[in-house]
Amino acid sequence: MSDQPVIEISGVVKTFGRKRVLDGETFAVQAGQTFAFLGRNGAGKTTTIRMLLGLIKPDSGTVRVLGLDPQKQPLEVRRRVGYVAEDQAMFGWMRVSQIISFIAPFYPKWDHGWARQLSERFELPLSTKVKHLSKGQGVRLALLLALAHRPELVILDDPTLGLDPIMRKEFLRDLVTYLQGERVTVFFSSHLLYEVEPVADAVAILDHGQVLRQDSTENLRAQIKRLIVPATAEAAVRELPGILDIARCGRQVAVVVSDAAPAVAALEHEGIAVQEIDLNLDEIFEAYVIGRKEPANAGPPLERVA
Amino acid sequence: MFIRLETSSGMPIARQIADQVRTHCASGSLCPGDRLPSVRQLAKELAVNQNTVLRVYERLTAEGLLERRHGDGTYVADRLPPGRLKAQRALLEQDARRLAKRATDLNIDADEVHKLLDEVFDKLSREKAPAQTR
Repeated sequence: MSDQPVIEISGVVKTFGRKRVLDGETFAVQAGQTFAFLGRNGAGKTTTIRMLLGLIKPDSGTVRVLGLDPQKQPLEVRRRVGYVAEDQAMFGWMRVSQIISFIAPFYPKWDHGWARQLSERFELPLSTKVKHLSKGQGVRLALLLALAHRPELVILDDPTLGLDPIMRKEFLRDLVTYLQGERVTVFFSSHLLYEVEPVADAVAILDHGQVLRQDSTENLRAQIKRLIVPATAEAAVRELPGILDIARCGRQVAVVVSDAAPAVAALEHEGIAVQEIDLNLDEIFEAYVIGRKEPANAGPPLERVA
Repeated sequence: MFIRLETSSGMPIARQIADQVRTHCASGSLCPGDRLPSVRQLAKELAVNQNTVLRVYERLTAEGLLERRHGDGTYVADRLPPGRLKAQRALLEQDARRLAKRATDLNIDADEVHKLLDEVFDKLSREKAPAQTR
């Protein structure tokens, strides 16, 4: 395999009417990675995914999928990519076995044996009509259809949306077993951050059409910290580079920084006592997306939001 | 080998897994020669990235706690003579650090903490709880 990224998005702008949905979006996904694409509703996740599949055209910037331009070679891209849409519309009147044999001929590389194996492992009822499947079975069927042609890249648009907690975990297990286990590159969007983290190699945080940060989950955790210092040190704290969020709480100032080690060193160099607090992915996301660069006088520190 | 992850915790997943494997080895619920689940199996069970599990196994192998037998999976190392005590100490030290930090935050000095610990040990032995690990 080459070192060329499987997905490469660079300076992409897309407007719908007066709304700038993507605003210079840039990120890259390496081969074999499981990459989580995080953003609030309306951040531009689905627009990005539709662009990767060649369904919409960027106003400017470049989009490459498996080295191809989805605008110029949409069929080639879709042949080599597996896709599960946010709300997969399928032919409800078909039986599971019918939809499998209906989809198969579209893909030259369809692997009938693998499709059969997946349908067994997913315990899909082949003679049931699609509209009578449970939500969880529906997602598994969509996953089967996306995987059976042995794609090099699988794109999942919020695949766990609407699943109950048990099915969500089952889905993540499927992902770990049948995608990571088969060395497929996975790009999936989600807003369930702490569920995503254990399975992702890397994440990108998208907000208002821009990627605010792309990094491995491990780096995010290691570098982004909340520092608590006495309120008397506020002036020094405000000099720190990479402040994501700052809040005054009584006699203390709490600040979230994008790279803790140099910040702590700088503060300690000035003789300021620093308390360092690890953050989970929810808190990191929140600091990036709704962090305040100017301290509000409000009381308690940030609370987790769903 | 029972492992429980707290996905909302501030502690990275890899460290949670590594710590719990160390604890199992230290407490004796994993013994030398025991076979660990494969990377694939454990990743599936915990719904965790296979690379994360792989990295944990590699790290613990480098520490001498585990042994990877080629083509035959991962085992608890046959001999962990200096390791075991050291691993137990290292685990306890983490908790001790947390306790010491907490005490400092609360303005409680070391003497007071030592006294408190004695009291707690006392209470525990009086309760005579059957010495089972969880």
